[in-house]
Amino acid sequence: MVLEKKGSARVEAGQRRVLDEATRQRRLTRQLEALEKDNFQDDPLSSLPPPGPTARLPAFSETEEPEKRRRKTRGDHFKQRFRKNFSALLEEENLSERAEPNYLSAVAPPSSLPPRPFCCVCGFPSHYTCTTCGGRYCCTKCLLTHRETRCLKWTL
Amino acid sequence: MATLVLDNGAYTAKIGYSQEKVSVIPNCQFRSKTSRLKTFTANQLDEIKDPSGLFYILPFQKGYLVNWDVQRKVWDHLFGKEMFKVDFADTSIVITEPYFNFTSIQESMNEILFEEYQFQSVLRTNAGSLSAHHYFHTNPKELCCLVIDTGFSFTHIVPYCRSRKMKDGIRRINVGGKLLTNHLKEIISYRQLHVMDETHVINQVKEDVCYVSQQFYKDMEIAQQKGEENAVMRDYVLPDFSAIKKGFCKPREEMVFSGKYKTGEQILRLVNERFAVPEMLFHPSDIGIQEMGIPEAIVHSIQSMPEGKNTTSNISFRIADDSKCVIIPITYSWEGGKLLAQNPDYEEMVVTRDDFEENGHCVCEEKFDV
Ligand SMILES: [Zn+2]
Ligand SMILES: [Zn+2]
Repeated sequence: MVLEKKGSARVEAGQRRVLDEATRQRRLTRQLEALEKDNFQDDPLSSLPPPGPTARLPAFSETEEPEKRRRKTRGDHFKQRFRKNFSALLEEENLSERAEPNYLSAVAPPSSLPPRPFCCVCGFPSHYTCTTCGGRYCCTKCLLTHRETRCLKWTL
Repeated sequence: MATLVLDNGAYTAKIGYSQEKVSVIPNCQFRSKTSRLKTFTANQLDEIKDPSGLFYILPFQKGYLVNWDVQRKVWDHLFGKEMFKVDFADTSIVITEPYFNFTSIQESMNEILFEEYQFQSVLRTNAGSLSAHHYFHTNPKELCCLVIDTGFSFTHIVPYCRSRKMKDGIRRINVGGKLLTNHLKEIISYRQLHVMDETHVINQVKEDVCYVSQQFYKDMEIAQQKGEENAVMRDYVLPDFSAIKKGFCKPREEMVFSGKYKTGEQILRLVNERFAVPEMLFHPSDIGIQEMGIPEAIVHSIQSMPEGKNTTSNISFRIADDSKCVIIPITYSWEGGKLLAQNPDYEEMVVTRDDFEENGHCVCEEKFDV
């Protein structure tokens, strides 16, 4: 095995890589972010073949129809406000400076109960920890599956 | 004047006039693989013959309304001639928003409802407050209740005393229906069949087979049994959208416990997924979310109340044993809004368009308890 000094991994007993705490945390964050996604596939509209010279695709951001029956609203400032994502809006609220309770203060604090380990392959209660990535497993069969699929790779 | 009640959820809108019945409609837009140029809005979902790989365009992000383009498309459709044919000049609206909604979102809401749609009057409130109103209305002897509202993006625990929202007691757990569906998709994709693009289908699987376990570790044992002994195991027949329009569980007597099915349908075998997925609401730490689950957060919420300061952690057992627990349907809040609209004091609670034109956002801020 070729030694890799990348800071994110070190070599244990010349055998398997061991992911450090920061890498494990990054992986967890990425997993949790994936659970927030609305779609995993591409937008069907964007996967259309390129249009011919005269065709014009109604790209989603351009679907604003002319507002005939609508009264004119308050110009640029107003329009801009409708195009901010969650984190921009959250930042703008400046909640750390605001009186509690608020969105930030209302979040449930960490649990005081002990963590419950489950096998990352089959989902049943587990007693063992993978020395490489810290993932849990319940039996040799699951450990082998784990090593072949998830342990140091990302299949999803 | 008519009153339209709109419980504007991050995934479904519950909408109807206060004198009529409620409709539950997707609060989003869709695109499908089969007609890629068209964008389907709200209940136009029913027009999509093959909703496999359905692409979602949602107005909400993390439970808050951020994509106004999409929201206005959905509202145009709901308020328009195809659905509720709203006569804005003669209509009041009761509309819900999340707890601790951002100021800029509230202001956008005011402007869009009053200036763009030109509703005659508006009442902005939280869905949980409508639920509490419904509860106190049907249980007039009760003084307090705790609303546990699991939505698409998160779960809120909110104490209400004498109809008042106790803001200091509100606790939010960042686990909701979307997370459960995505987690179910992820484990099915890892263990048996790639379904990451099938939110619509797997959401239905979740609704059809998942349950909250009353005896978690006992169910884990049962789920480990082989063959017919395994009372938790279900085989779910996936829809193909031609012969099978909607997925379903194989009846127990038709289940093949060893070997393959000869019928050729596409089958998902669900075992501990059935109760391990909803368990995330009770133990978010199971998947690495460092937050209390519902039972702990209830205790935390109650202990933050003036009268709850001296309670001990024994309360968690008492909650399970002797508090009155009502599992409420998805339209419970809407029904609360309907009751509110029929309340003789309703006119006092709203902000009229004249009021808004004269005084702007501050009159809304004063009047609405959101
Ligand atoms: Zn295992
Ligand atoms: Zn590993």
